Amino acid sequence: MISAYEGDTVASALYASGVRTFSRSFLFHRKRGLLCVSGRCPNCMVTVDGVPNVRACCEPAREGMKVKRQNGWPSTDTDIFSGVQLIERFLPVGFYYKTFINFPTEWANTQPMIRRLTGRGSVKQELARWNAQAASGGHGDRFEKQYLHPDVVVVGGGPAGVFAALAASRAGASAVLVHDQPSLGGHLRFEGDTVDLGSVEGAEEFSGMRGYELAAKLDRLARAEENLRVYDNANAFGLYESNEVGVVQGNKMLKLRAKQLIISTGAGEYLTVFKNNDLPGVLLGSGVRRMLALYGVPPGKNAVVVTNNDSGLSLANALLEAGVKVSAFADARTKVDTSSPRFEALRKSGAILLTGYSIKEAEGGGRVTGATLIRLDENGAATAGTEKSFKCDTICLANGFEPDAALLTQARCRVSYDEALGEFIPSESPASVQTCGDVTGIHDLRCAFLQANIAGLQAASGLASATKAPAGKLNELSASLKSAETAYRDRLASQGPRPIIGIVSEPTDGKGRKPEMNGFACICEDVKEKELAQAVEEGFRDIEILKRYSTLTMGPCEGKMCATPGVGICARETGRSIADAGRTVSRPPYLPVPMGALAGPGLHPVKLTAMHYKHLEAGATLMDMGEWKRPHVYTSVFEEYSAVRTKVGIIDLSTLGRLDVKGRDAPKLLDFIYTHTMSKLQNGKSRYGVICDDAGAILDDGTVTRLGEDHYFITTSTGNIDFVEQWLTWWAVAKKWEAQVTNLTSGFAAVNVAGPRARDLLRTLTDVDLSTEKFPYMASGSGLVAGVPCILLRIGFVGETGWEIHFPAEYGEYFWDRLMEAGRPFGIMPFGVETQRLLRLEKMHVIVSQDTDALSTPYEANMAWVVKLDKEDFVGKAALTFAKDEVPQRRLVGFTVEGEVVPHDGDQAFSPDGSTLIGVVTSCRYSPAAQKPVGLALIRSDLSADGGTFLVASGTSKLNAKITFVPFYDPEGRRLKE
Amino acid sequence: MVLGLFRKEKMWGPHHKLKSHYDVVIIGAGVHGLSTAYYLAKNYGITDIALLDKTYLGGGNSGRNTAIVRANYSTPEGIRLYSESLDLYEGLSKELNFNMLLTQMGHMSLAHTDSAVNGVWKRAEINKALGVNSRVIWPDEIKRMVPALDTSQHTRYPIKAALFHPPGGAIRHDAVVWGYAKGAEALGAEIHPRTTVTGIDVSDGAVKGVRTSDGSFVGADVVVNSTSGFCSTITKMVGVDIPVVTHQLQACVTEPVKPFMSKVVVSANLHVYVYQTDRGELVMGSEIDPYSSYSPLSTFQTLEAIAGHAVELFPGLKNLRILRQWSGVCDMTPDYSPIMGRVEEVKNFILDVGWGTYGFKSGPASGHNIAELIATGKTPDTIKPFALARFDANAQVSERGAAAVSH
Repeated sequence: MISAYEGDTVASALYASGVRTFSRSFLFHRKRGLLCVSGRCPNCMVTVDGVPNVRACCEPAREGMKVKRQNGWPSTDTDIFSGVQLIERFLPVGFYYKTFINFPTEWANTQPMIRRLTGRGSVKQELARWNAQAASGGHGDRFEKQYLHPDVVVVGGGPAGVFAALAASRAGASAVLVHDQPSLGGHLRFEGDTVDLGSVEGAEEFSGMRGYELAAKLDRLARAEENLRVYDNANAFGLYESNEVGVVQGNKMLKLRAKQLIISTGAGEYLTVFKNNDLPGVLLGSGVRRMLALYGVPPGKNAVVVTNNDSGLSLANALLEAGVKVSAFADARTKVDTSSPRFEALRKSGAILLTGYSIKEAEGGGRVTGATLIRLDENGAATAGTEKSFKCDTICLANGFEPDAALLTQARCRVSYDEALGEFIPSESPASVQTCGDVTGIHDLRCAFLQANIAGLQAASGLASATKAPAGKLNELSASLKSAETAYRDRLASQGPRPIIGIVSEPTDGKGRKPEMNGFACICEDVKEKELAQAVEEGFRDIEILKRYSTLTMGPCEGKMCATPGVGICARETGRSIADAGRTVSRPPYLPVPMGALAGPGLHPVKLTAMHYKHLEAGATLMDMGEWKRPHVYTSVFEEYSAVRTKVGIIDLSTLGRLDVKGRDAPKLLDFIYTHTMSKLQNGKSRYGVICDDAGAILDDGTVTRLGEDHYFITTSTGNIDFVEQWLTWWAVAKKWEAQVTNLTSGFAAVNVAGPRARDLLRTLTDVDLSTEKFPYMASGSGLVAGVPCILLRIGFVGETGWEIHFPAEYGEYFWDRLMEAGRPFGIMPFGVETQRLLRLEKMHVIVSQDTDALSTPYEANMAWVVKLDKEDFVGKAALTFAKDEVPQRRLVGFTVEGEVVPHDGDQAFSPDGSTLIGVVTSCRYSPAAQKPVGLALIRSDLSADGGTFLVASGTSKLNAKITFVPFYDPEGRRLKE
Repeated sequence: MVLGLFRKEKMWGPHHKLKSHYDVVIIGAGVHGLSTAYYLAKNYGITDIALLDKTYLGGGNSGRNTAIVRANYSTPEGIRLYSESLDLYEGLSKELNFNMLLTQMGHMSLAHTDSAVNGVWKRAEINKALGVNSRVIWPDEIKRMVPALDTSQHTRYPIKAALFHPPGGAIRHDAVVWGYAKGAEALGAEIHPRTTVTGIDVSDGAVKGVRTSDGSFVGADVVVNSTSGFCSTITKMVGVDIPVVTHQLQACVTEPVKPFMSKVVVSANLHVYVYQTDRGELVMGSEIDPYSSYSPLSTFQTLEAIAGHAVELFPGLKNLRILRQWSGVCDMTPDYSPIMGRVEEVKNFILDVGWGTYGFKSGPASGHNIAELIATGKTPDTIKPFALARFDANAQVSERGAAAVSH
C-alpha cells in the first residue's frame, strides 16, 4: 500500500516511498532503478492491473491500482535468477550461437529453459473478450479510434512546438498539437532562469519571465487558440506516407492526416557507458530535473553530477535548491568558464568542481554508494592514476542529448553526424515536413523560437485559408535564425570539442592489460561494451549487422539509450569516425504501442440475408460464407434432399453476387470478360458464364441474363462479388467502354424454388406463364410473384425444374412466408447449403474453387463448351487457345466407389496400383440416387479415361474409384427441362 | 559445449578488393546466394566465387522474413523442395558449427470456414501421401496445444480445424545468414556487401560479367541472380523478362514476455500469423499488400490489420505492445512457385528468384540444387518443375493455397 499525490506517476510515488529497485534486467537479472524518468528506458517497466510492461514513470497514479514489479522470482528485490550474473563471463556476445549446437538434443533441451528466463512481464493466456472491469478507465480493453484531418499537425509540446503551433494557427491554419506530457512547455517547466528571446519581432510577449512561467503561459495560450486543438498525454508513434501520423492517447488511437507536419519532438538524453552504469541510483540529468520540478521528489541526499554540456550546471543548481548535497561536479570539457555565479553557488555549497573529468565507475552493489571520477586527456581518453572517489547515493549523468528524430527517419529523412554539435541530426526533410527546436540538434531557445515561427508560417503558407505572411517576414526570420545559430555554434566551439560521446573509454595501464569494458552499452538486453568489441573483432563491423548480432538497439528502448553509445563503441573498435560508422535505420513505432489500440474496437461486419430470422425460426444451423451467414442445414440433409427430389424445396440465394450492367458497350464488355459470347445471348435468356484470368484459369462463374439490348443482369459466386465488380469496372475504364456496373447484391434477395412441384406452387402466386413452352430451361422473365416484382431465371443447379427468383430485399420475410405458406400443400421444405452441395454433385455441377483450383482451366473442368475462341479478344484467350490443343495436365472426373466409406473432400487419389499420387478428391458425398458414394476428382489426365479406375486413400482404407462422366442423377437432364 | 563459449573466431572479412574475374558471381548475399556459394565450395570445390550485395550482409529479405520453416506445401513439387530444405536446416547448426537456434515447435494453420477446412484436409492428405508429418486437428486439441487461442464459438469466425505440422517451427534467420557466410568464406568465397550491380554484360548469347556501382567490371563464367524484390530488374539487365510482380510484405514484433504460446499459429482466413521467439517476443505478420510496390516503408494500415487480427485470435494480447514493424519487397510469380535454373536466351545466367514470401524456408535446398546445376551442368530433378519455361508450357506449379499467408 503506497500513497500518492495528485499528479504523481506510479514511479514518483514508489520512489518517494523508498522503492529504488524497479525491475530486474533481461538477461542477468540485475537490479535496475529509475533512469530516464521520461518513458524512454526499460528500467521502470511494471505490471499495472495485469497489464505488463507499463512505464511506471509515465503512468499516472490512480486510487486502488495494483502495481507489480517484473522479471524477478520470487520477488524483484530477491531474485534467485540473479545468479546468472555469476556465470556472466560464460555468456559472451552471441553465446547462444556458439553453444548447444548438437541439434536436436542440446538445443531442444536448453531452449525451454532459456525461454523462461527471458521475456519481461507476462500476458495472461486467457482474457475474456469483453472485460467488464476494463471499462473503468486506465488500461483495459475498450479501445477506440479517432480520425482528424487538420491543415497542420505539430508533434511535440515543448516551447518550439507551441511557438510553431501558435504561428501556424495565427496565420490561419487549422492545427492539432499532440504531445506526451500532461502540460505544455517541455523543459521550460523546470527552468527557473529568466527567458530572453532577443530582440526579434513577436518575441516580446514571451521574454522577461522565468522558464516555468513561460511554460504556463504557453499552455494557456495554446488552449485558448481557437484554431488549435491540443492533445495531452498523446504519443505520436509513427509517421507514415502521405503525412499520416499515428498517435496513442490512453486507450484511444488518433489517426491524423495533415497537409503539413511540424516535428518538434525535442531531444532525449542517453546513457553513458562505464562500469556499473546500470546501478540503481545512476540517473539521467533530465530525469532528475523532472523528479524535482514535476513531482517534488529528490533523487537522493548526496549526488555526484557528471556532464559534458551546459545542462549539467543547471541540474546541479536545481539539486542544491532541492536540498540535495552535491559532493562533486565533473565537467568533461576543459575550457569551461567556472567563474559564473552558478559555479560560485556550487563551490559555496561545498561541491568539488572538476573540469576535464568524467566518470570511470559507479561504486556499490545493488545501489550506488559512490562514484569514481577520472581525468580525460585532450583526446577524451581517461588517464590512469587520476581517479578520485566520492561517496554519494546518486549519480546524475548529463552527458549529451540526441535529437528524437525517429519520426523524421520514418519519413525518410536522413540522419547524419554533426561533428561540431556532437550529435546525429536530421537533414533534408520532405517539403511537407518542417522541423524546429531541440530535434534539430540546436539546443538554444532563441533559435527554437525563430525555427518555430519559420516552420509555422511555412506550413500555413500554402493553404487557401491562411493569411499571407507579410512579404519579407520569412526572410527576416531566416536571417535572424542564421545569426542566432552561428552564435550558438561559436559558443560551443569556444568550449572545446565534446570529449566523450556516449562512452568513457577505460585508461590503458601501459602493461598491455586489456581494458575490462564492463559497462552496459545496452541495458534492455544486457549487452556490455566488451561484447560489442568482441563482435567487431569477429567480423561484425557494419553497424547494421553488429546491431543484429549483439541485439543492441533492439530492446524496448529501441536505441533511445544505446544507439549513440553503440555507434561510439563501433567507431572506436573499427577505427572509423562516428560519422562513418553511421546509424541503423529506425523503424516505427517510435514507442511501443498496445495492440488493442491498433486493433480498435474490433467491430467485424456480419451480413445477414433479408430472410435470416426466418431461417433461425426454422431451426437452421448457420455457416460463414465470406461475410455472410447462411443456413447450412435445417432438419437433415436426407429430408431436405427428398423434398427437392420428390416435392419442392426452397433455398435462400440472397448471398449470390448481383450486378446490373448497362450501356452501349455492355455486350462488348461481357464478351471480353466471359469466355462465352454474351453479345449473342437473346433477350430474355440466361447463360452460364465463366470468367478466366490471363492464364486461362477459372476465376469465377455465374449466370448472365440479358434484360435488354444494352442491359444485363449478372450473378456471381458469394465470395467473389467484390472482385467481379472491380474487374468489370476496371476493364470498362481501361477500354474506355460505355458500360455502367451497379452492385445490386444487398438491394435484392433471392430464392431458388426447385422440385417437381415447383411450377404448381408458383402458379398459385403468379400470373407469369411458367409453362415449358413459354418459359423453357435457361429462359428469364419478370413479373409479380405474391405481389412482389421479381426477376425469374429458370436455372437448374440442383437438377430439378426450378426458378431462381430475385426480388427487392425489403420483401424478404414476407416473400419467404408467402412461399412457405403456399408451398405447404405441396410439401415444401427449406434446404441448406449442405443439401444443395449433394444435389448439385449428383448432377456433376462444379463449384468453382472447390472442384477447381487456382490453375484449373475450363478444359480441365470439362467445360470446353463455355469457351468461344471464335470471338474477338477476351481475357485468357491466348492461354486458352494454346490450352485447347494441348492435353491438359489434369482433368476433373466423376467417380463412384463401392461400400460404406465415403471419402472426405480433399482425400488423395493414387494410380490403380497405389504407387503414384495422381490427384485429389474435390467433392464426395453419399448419393441417394446412385445408392453409393459419388464424387468429383481432379486427377492426371492420362489416367482419366471414362470407365478407368483409381485408388482413393481415405483414412486407413484404400477405395477403388470408377471414373464416369455421366451425371449420377437424371443424366439426360430431362427433369430440369420439364 | 563449454569450450564453444570461448571460441572467438573470425566470421568473415576483412573486406576484399574485387578481383577482375571470378568463376561464379552471385548477385545477392542473402540465404539463397550464400548457401549456393557454400555448397559450390563444399560439394564441388568451386571456390572462386564473389557474392555482391547492395546493402549489408543479409540485409534484404533474409533479414526481414519471420524465420518460419516448414514443409507442409500443397503440391508434390513444392513438398519435395521444402522437405529437402527442412532436412538440411535440421543438420545445419552442426555442419556449420554455429547454433542457428532451430526450434521445431510445430506449425498450425487454422481454418475458420468450410472451404478452409477442406483446404487443410487436402494439404494434410497430400502431406501424408508424400511422407510429410501433417494432420488435421480439431478445436479441442487446438485449445490444448495453444490455450491462449480463442477457440470459443462467439468469435466472428470461430476456429473449426487446423492443419498441424509438428516439424515446422522457426530458426534464427540472421544466424542462418551468418553461418552460411562464415562457411562460404572459410572455403574461399568472397562476400562484398554494399556493392551494387548496375549492369550485366552479355555477348554472343552468353553472360560475361557484371558492372558495379563503383564503376568496375567483374568478369564471370557464371552469373547467378539470387535477389528477391528487385529480381526482375536484375534479370532485365540480360534482356529477359520474367513474370514477377513485386509486392510489399510486412511484419512486426512485440515486447518480449514470458512464455505465452508454443506453436506457430497461422490463420489464412484472418490474414495473420503469430509465434513467440526464444527471446519472448511475439512475431506477427500478414499476407502481401494488395498492390504492387517497391517501397521499403511500412504502413499504418497493415500494422492495424495485423494487430486487429492477432487480437481476434488471442484476446489476451490487447495490452501487449508492438515494438517494431518492418517490411520487405517480395517477388511474386503467378503460381506462387519460384523460378529456378537456366534461361534459354542467355547462357551461363542462372535464376534463383520469384521466391515471393517463402524464400527463406527453401534457402538451403535452393543453394544445394543451384550449386549442383552450376557444377554439373545438369538441372537437378527437384528444381526442374520450376524452370522459367513452365509459363510458356502451361505447366505452372500452384502453391497459392499453401503459400499465401502461410509463412
